[in-house]
Parts: sequence; structure tokens; C-alpha cells
Amino acid sequence: MSDIVDHSRRQFLSFAGKAGLTTLVAQAVGINLGVVDIVRAQTGKRGVEPFRFAIVSDSHLYSMPDHKFDQQLAEAVAQVNAMTPLPDFVLFGGDVAQNGTEDQLVKGSKILAELKMPLKIIPGEHDWYLDMGDAWRGLFGDETWSFNHKGVHFIGLNSILVRDFWTEAGMTPLERMTVMEMLESPIPGPWGVHEKQLEWLANDVKDLAPDTPVVIFTHSPLWDYYPRWNFQTSDAPEIREILSKFDNVMSYHGHVHQTLYNRIGNMSSVAALGTAWPWPYPPVELAFPETRMNRADPSIATDGMGTQVIDLSGSFEGLVQYKPFEDSLTPFMRDGFKV
Amino acid sequence: MTTNKMLKIERVLAVSALAAVLAAGTSWARAPFTDEELAAQKAALVESIALGYDLWHGSRADMTTNGLACGNCHPDTAASNPQTFPKYMTMYGKVIPFREMVNWCIENPQAGTRLDVDGDDMTAMEAYAFYLHRGKEITPGLASEQTTPIVVEYGTGFARTPTGIGVDNRP
Ligand SMILES: [Fe+2]
Ligand SMILES: [Fe+2]
Repeated sequence: MSDIVDHSRRQFLSFAGKAGLTTLVAQAVGINLGVVDIVRAQTGKRGVEPFRFAIVSDSHLYSMPDHKFDQQLAEAVAQVNAMTPLPDFVLFGGDVAQNGTEDQLVKGSKILAELKMPLKIIPGEHDWYLDMGDAWRGLFGDETWSFNHKGVHFIGLNSILVRDFWTEAGMTPLERMTVMEMLESPIPGPWGVHEKQLEWLANDVKDLAPDTPVVIFTHSPLWDYYPRWNFQTSDAPEIREILSKFDNVMSYHGHVHQTLYNRIGNMSSVAALGTAWPWPYPPVELAFPETRMNRADPSIATDGMGTQVIDLSGSFEGLVQYKPFEDSLTPFMRDGFKV
Repeated sequence: MTTNKMLKIERVLAVSALAAVLAAGTSWARAPFTDEELAAQKAALVESIALGYDLWHGSRADMTTNGLACGNCHPDTAASNPQTFPKYMTMYGKVIPFREMVNWCIENPQAGTRLDVDGDDMTAMEAYAFYLHRGKEITPGLASEQTTPIVVEYGTGFARTPTGIGVDNRP
């Protein structure tokens, strides 16, 4: 079990390391400016070599054997493995597990190990609050990370941190987890990435030039969508401020289990479909209501669920395509949209 | 009609009007319920809503065999649209009441045992869902129509106002 996970992590590290090495070599021989200029002329901004990556999210696995959600995650993996061309890697958007137990996380890591390409992952609230991330970290590693790939700087943050509501209340780990499992739970309040990760982020991007293509990946959206369901990240304004120097930032997130697009300043924001169930659109007006999907039909067991793939061009334009398991998209969304 | 008869009618009307004026200014007619009675009724309703809230979030084991509760897909009862029932649902091919829709979800996505449609638990489920949809227009609908947007007032959700249209109002 841990072999499989370690294998995919090693695979990923070597691949991320390669991208990093190229950059280092260029800088070491003092030709970075020249290289960048030439590459920019050929392939656009900062030399992005066009590629695609996929996002799988919110599998919410339960402990029962042969649970239908196991099959749905496996279907997502098969769908990504069958994409042509193959995505360079897969981001998983959090909520592998439903109740945060080790067996659920292990089951998820085994199904995800069937991916033909490397996996990068950040946690969701359902993964975390039974043991405060111990099992998750053991399986998947650090929850705060960045790497460079084909000219794009990818960042992952843990956005589901809440203030300590359990110690004073004398809650057991299970009680704490149960509180966090309910989307509309009145207890935990808004979550975010908190001070340490903000510092990490500021440090991570401080030497990057403004025209560096940046993709940031979190469980929850980096804007105030619907705080009651934690469709928000409380320190998103600080995150956006740190990233405000960049020409173009793409934010991708899980947690909302639906199609969704927004743009604030230099940042576009795109949500991932889940593989377990779709969530209703909350009662707020959207700036881009045309990016909503059809109302899911409960008699179609996997309506409103699926995966997504993003093609990045040489000029760091993204083509976002949702790949639902069923015919869940409006005509507007069927051919994808540009970010 | 004779003049006498008309006068008699006018007298009757005048007496009635006088009675109405007197009634409005006095406590001749008692209020339908006392404040205490009203408080007790409200408490009974809230108790049923609270039971419904618990059931909606998985408190009754036989409602599921796969761990799913109503709240998995319907946070704050969103997209359940109780006030649009009875309505046509494709899985039945006919018009059904809300409680039948609840039982469909229990038996299918949740793979559990249906509730007694006349039992207190089903009433509580309805009390919770309908309470969150109070004030919404009762519009018998079609299965394909978009969900009713509800802003939740019941429950102590944390006090932050969604800005809604994709711009944070914080600096
Ligand atoms: Fe989720
Ligand atoms: Fe989540």
C-alpha cells in the first residue's frame, strides 16, 4: 500500500526535479535572460511549453467495502487515463475521505495510484480533522508545496485550517471530525490558510518575475462565494494581495462539487466537479452564471459529477473542459471555456 | 318593499355597527390563543424542526446502509424544494408528495429503509425542510426546474454575509 503511494510520489518528485533543474542550469550559466527572450518569442510568455493537466476532486470515500463512491473515483481515474493527449499530471482537490479515517485515505491512495501520471494533492476538511492530518501526511506528504513545470509555477496550499474549537469544548477527535463533516455546521466558522502558509507563500513567490505564469491550488475557493458552507477562504484577500504582482494567476479549487468560474483582478478561479455527489448552487448571484451546470437529476446516479482537464497554451491561456460522467453540462459549457 | 320594512333593516344594521364598535374597544371576544399557548405551540414546532435537522444529518441509522444522509447532497435542505410538491418526478412517472420524495432518497441514494409516512420522524423531516423554505412561493413545479434559492435563517450559521457576485467587500 505505502509502496504504491511512495512510487507515485517518487515519480512526481523526479519529474518536478527535472523542471527545476532546467531552470537552475540556465541560471547557473548566466543565460537566463537570453533563454527566456528566445523562448518567449517562440512559445509566448515566459516560455510556457503547452501542456495539459487534469483535476480529480472530492471522492468522499466511506469505509464500507465496495461502496459506490469507490467505483466513482475509479471511473474518474479511468476517464483521466483515457484522455488524449494524456495530462502531464493530476491535481487532486481534497476530500479523498468522508470521515478522515486512515482506511478511507489508504483506499483513496490505492485507487489514485492507478493513474498513469504523477499526482499532486492538497487536503480537504474531510481528510483532516480526525487526526489533524497525520494519516494524510503519512500517505501524501506535505500539504504546502510548489513546483515548476514547463514554465508554470504551481502552488498548493492547505485552506481548511480553522481556529481551535475543540480543546476548550473537550471534544474527542471523532466529535471534532463530525463537526467538520457537516457543510452547514454552525460550529467551526470560516476556514483559511493561516499566517504560516501566508508567510510561506510570500517567500515562495518573492523572487519570481511578474510575468511568471502562476497556478494556485486549494480546497476552497479564493473568494467569498458562500461563507455559510465554507465556499470561501478567509484569508483569500491576503493570498490575492501576495499574488497581485503577477500578470495572470489561475486558481483551481475543489470543495464546491460543481462547475463554477469567477475572476477577481488578475486571478481567475475555476471549481472542480467532485466524483461523489454534486452540490446545489447556493442562493447568491454569480458574476458568470453561465458557467453553472444543469440541475442534477437524482435518478441518474452520477449526474453532476466527473473530472476536468485544463490545456495551457504557450501564452498561458487555459482551456478548461469539464468532463462529466453524464450529460450534465449546458450547451455553453460543452466545449469548454478560456481562462 | 314597504317603508316600514326598510326602516327595520336600517335599525338592525345600526345596532350591528354599534356592536362592532363596542367589540373593537373591549375584550368581549377572547384572543384565539394566549401568549403561553402560542409559546408552547412554537416550542413544539421548533422541537419537530430540530428533530428533522438531526434526522436530515444522519441521526437515524436505518435511513442508510452506505453512510449517506440527506445533508450530503442537500445542505440546509437546498435543492429539495419541498414547497413545489406535489410534483411530477421522473423516477415515479407520476405526481408525488414531498414525503414520497424523501423516501425515494432514503431507499435509493442512501440505500436505507423508508420512513413511516405517518410517523413523527417524517413529519419532523417535513417540518425542517418546509421551515427553511418558508416565504417561498408555492409553485407546483417540474422536475427539471432550477432549485429554489433559500437563505437560511434557522440555525446559528456563522455571521458573515456572502458578497455573492464575486468581489470581496473586504480590502
Ligand atoms: Fe467535498
Ligand atoms: Fe470540502
